[in-house]
Amino acid sequence: MATLTDSRKRELRRELETIVGPDAVLSDPDELLVYESDGLTLFRALADFVVFPTSTEHVSAVVKLANRERLPFVARGAGTGLSGGCLPAEGGVVISLMRMNRVLEVDYDNQLAVVEPGLVNLHLSWKVGPRGYYYAPDPSSQQACTIGGNIANNSGGPHTLKYGVTTNHVLGLQVVMPDGEIVWLGGRTRDAQGYDLAGVFVGSEGTFGIATKIVVRILKKPQAVKTVLAVFDQIDRASAAVSAVIARGLVPAAMEMIDHLTIQAVEDAFNCGYPRDADAALLIELDGLAVGMEGQLERIVEACRDAGARETRTAKSESERQLLWKGRKSAFGAYGRVSPAYMVMDGVIPRTKLPYVLSRVNEIVAAHGLRVGNVFHAGDGNLHPNILYDPRKPGEEERVVAAGAEIMKVCAEVGGSISGEHGIGLEKSDFMPFIFSAADLTLMQRLKNAFNPTGLCNPGKIFPTKKSCVEVGPVAYRPHAIEEKGLAQRF
Amino acid sequence: MPGALREKLSAAVGPANVLTGIELSPYVVEGRTPDAAVFPGSIDEVAAVVGLAANEGVPVTPWGGGAAASVGMPAARAGLVLGLRRMSRLLEHEPADLTATVEAGMTMGAFQAALGGRGQWMSLDPADADRATVGGVLATNAFGPRRHLYGAARDLLIGVTVVTADGAVVRGGGKVVKNVAGYDLPKLFVGSYGTLGVIVEATVKLRPLPDHEQLQAVRFERLKDTGVAVKAIMGSDLIPSAIELLDAAAASSAGLAADTPAGGAVLVVGFDGPREQVAWQCAELARILVPLGGQQTRTLEAEAWSRLAAAPGTARPATAAVMTFSVVPSLVAETMDRGAGIARARGLHSAWAAHAGVGAVRAVLASDAAPHEPAAIATVLGEWREMARAGGGHATLAWAPLAVKSRIPVWDDPGAAGRIMQRIKSQLDPGNILNPGRFIAGI
Ligand SMILES: Cc1cc2nc3c(=O)[nH]c(=O)nc-3n(C[C@H](O)[C@H](O)[C@H](O)COP(=O)(O)OP(=O)(O)OC[C@H]3O[C@@H](n4cnc5c(N)ncnc54)[C@H](O)[C@@H]3O)c2cc1C
Repeated sequence: MATLTDSRKRELRRELETIVGPDAVLSDPDELLVYESDGLTLFRALADFVVFPTSTEHVSAVVKLANRERLPFVARGAGTGLSGGCLPAEGGVVISLMRMNRVLEVDYDNQLAVVEPGLVNLHLSWKVGPRGYYYAPDPSSQQACTIGGNIANNSGGPHTLKYGVTTNHVLGLQVVMPDGEIVWLGGRTRDAQGYDLAGVFVGSEGTFGIATKIVVRILKKPQAVKTVLAVFDQIDRASAAVSAVIARGLVPAAMEMIDHLTIQAVEDAFNCGYPRDADAALLIELDGLAVGMEGQLERIVEACRDAGARETRTAKSESERQLLWKGRKSAFGAYGRVSPAYMVMDGVIPRTKLPYVLSRVNEIVAAHGLRVGNVFHAGDGNLHPNILYDPRKPGEEERVVAAGAEIMKVCAEVGGSISGEHGIGLEKSDFMPFIFSAADLTLMQRLKNAFNPTGLCNPGKIFPTKKSCVEVGPVAYRPHAIEEKGLAQRF
Repeated sequence: MPGALREKLSAAVGPANVLTGIELSPYVVEGRTPDAAVFPGSIDEVAAVVGLAANEGVPVTPWGGGAAASVGMPAARAGLVLGLRRMSRLLEHEPADLTATVEAGMTMGAFQAALGGRGQWMSLDPADADRATVGGVLATNAFGPRRHLYGAARDLLIGVTVVTADGAVVRGGGKVVKNVAGYDLPKLFVGSYGTLGVIVEATVKLRPLPDHEQLQAVRFERLKDTGVAVKAIMGSDLIPSAIELLDAAAASSAGLAADTPAGGAVLVVGFDGPREQVAWQCAELARILVPLGGQQTRTLEAEAWSRLAAAPGTARPATAAVMTFSVVPSLVAETMDRGAGIARARGLHSAWAAHAGVGAVRAVLASDAAPHEPAAIATVLGEWREMARAGGGHATLAWAPLAVKSRIPVWDDPGAAGRIMQRIKSQLDPGNILNPGRFIAGI
């Protein structure tokens, strides 16, 4: 990519200003620094411009300008992504959607909402909450991440087990295509005509265009919720309990695993009342109708006991429930107290392979002389090993990255996947061949050609490529701003 | 078909698995006979057949059970029917993972029976389960009543293997229930009507069979009043597995409530789960519906599901056309009521049924006596489609004789999105050999 001369840059800045307004363009290197990475601070790249459009037409005009100038461009939401997805190519335009953050319409009769992409995930649930509704996909970053980013990454959360991920809640999108054309994919009805373009767009990590309006489903809040913590002396038994619950025909809303190291860290830091000597705990939540809930809870407790749980604790009040969840949710902050840094891995395996894969993860990390804490969506088989390390020690970060690659290989070997929710982005593009053949990748490339033939829209992501344009570690780990504020944790 | 091609096909799949001449009668669609029907027994054989067809530029029509063979425009050129009936095995079922991998040619009925033996099911209940295959159901995005709670094919398909137009074997998705690696290829193939690739294997999410299940049929004097009833159910704490709405004609032909007055309707609501939850919900349903005009609640047996899935398919003896609609749920009752009025005004009968909570409406247009003029049929269908569009929905002509199809397009205009669809088609099938001309936007 040719670098722009200073005078050309000034001209383009003026042109961008006429589109989005003078207070909506950044081009000063100091200001651009904020946008050089996302939640995965291992990768960094500087754009030429960051713009803040406030309408679909703005986005379209900026995209057309970028096309005319052959400048790469990328959409950016809150920048909480964990795979480098919203990083610019070296140079080009970052299109921040943060000023397009309105709820445009809520249609309660049809249980849907039309929102702008920069809307913060949790703000939608706040908006519809008073009428008894909520937006189901609940990534842990939901206090900061945007619906647009969620769409791009097909984000999940603890309650994905019962309610599905983002794609199961999206009906339609208005998209600025990579050539600037404005198109609706899907709409307000359950089925679109022809190919499921909205379904294909979700999860395309910003490489198929920029969503400017999104129609999502909203759900009625459940009548009742029950939460139980099952405590185990051996993590293998906790893994077996996950399968046992499922085998008995029970589908909890969430089923989260917390391992020994994590329990220790959480108790040291926050005293949530998890038993310190436990090897693992399962946090299980049921929701639905109030009637019959006790009976279902008993069946879950029984399944855990039969699998070897040494005790189970049911939250007797909302405050007890919150405390149990705090143990799960404050794991990140807790790791921060026992280690200078950590890096979160994201892989998926068939539930039945949990015992084998967890022991392999521990072996791999130990072989690299590192420690790992596991806290993850066990019901979905979505692992999040958190490798603890010290970025100041030479070579440690490289060992973390190497261990991560080996863990991904193990996920692939047992028939799993290299990402359950964080996406491929820059981070894992070279791991794609672990699970996809050349023919699989060729078809994906053809699909990309149909949407993004010039490749200017978010280049360098998903497909295996040399990471030449981007600076790769060793870079000291920096927590994301929302983690520093204690608003979220990395899973 | 060139003789050389036939020989190569025989060599690829075995002579016994290539049908020609008189044996092709089951594969005649709208009076058009294919050149041959070929039945490969493995993925490699499918790839070989498609590769041979691609070399010669011969069109290929993937064929499951033929349940939807007449949906869409017939093939512009004759070609090969590629039948998947020899690929009908359940390959993997791991109950503790709640997933199964199946060959595309297995019928839904056989698949569900195998899963049911181990207490699970694929929570998709389209009509014609004994004939429709898993591959065909996915390719046509077929669904049934319980889509309301359990979602459609797009929500259940987690991995897919397809043979693409160049004869390559491609896998999308995987075997795990949560997966964001690469583009979501399963979504691309659901509802693609065999125009982008031949689905040969599928991995789907499963659910445990419910402990208990009950269907409640409630009669209403006037179809119009049911819109409020559906809205009340959806806004309540109830978690129904299905909300089915049938007008009097559809209800009587489905054998649900023969005594429903003309202009009336039957609402069928399904519940499943632990017995006490089902019982509580049935009582709650009555409490909600009685003040809204619901009468004569009856409990239906579980075998009613298949009749509901097919409704109003057999409503009239002289079916002239079948149209399906996708509208927002709040417009379902109105669509049915107004649509019936439009037909009546032209001297035609119609029967209507809907999966009301998901806005999927199905109508049969019929005349009692002599077959109607295609032009008059097409006029009604055109007005129906306009009605759906005015409410932000769309309509598909699911079945009609060619004389009608040539007057009104089978697929609605997809607008600007149609161009993206065409680009996808030309990227994946540049030679245009997979079901050419059958689908939307000329694809
Ligand atoms: C502390 C923490 C906890 C997390 N927990 C979870 C979790 O539980 N589950 C989970 O799934 N993820 C989680 N994540 C990852 C991240 O929050 C999600 O991927 C989120 O969806 C990203 O949203 P964002 O607005 O920050 O997007 P960004 O990071 O800004 O962008 C992500 C991708 O979306 C694209 N994009 C953004 N907006 C648009 C648009 N309008 N149109 C098209 N493409 C667009 C970008 O180009 C980029 O490829 C977590 C991250 C952090 C830092």
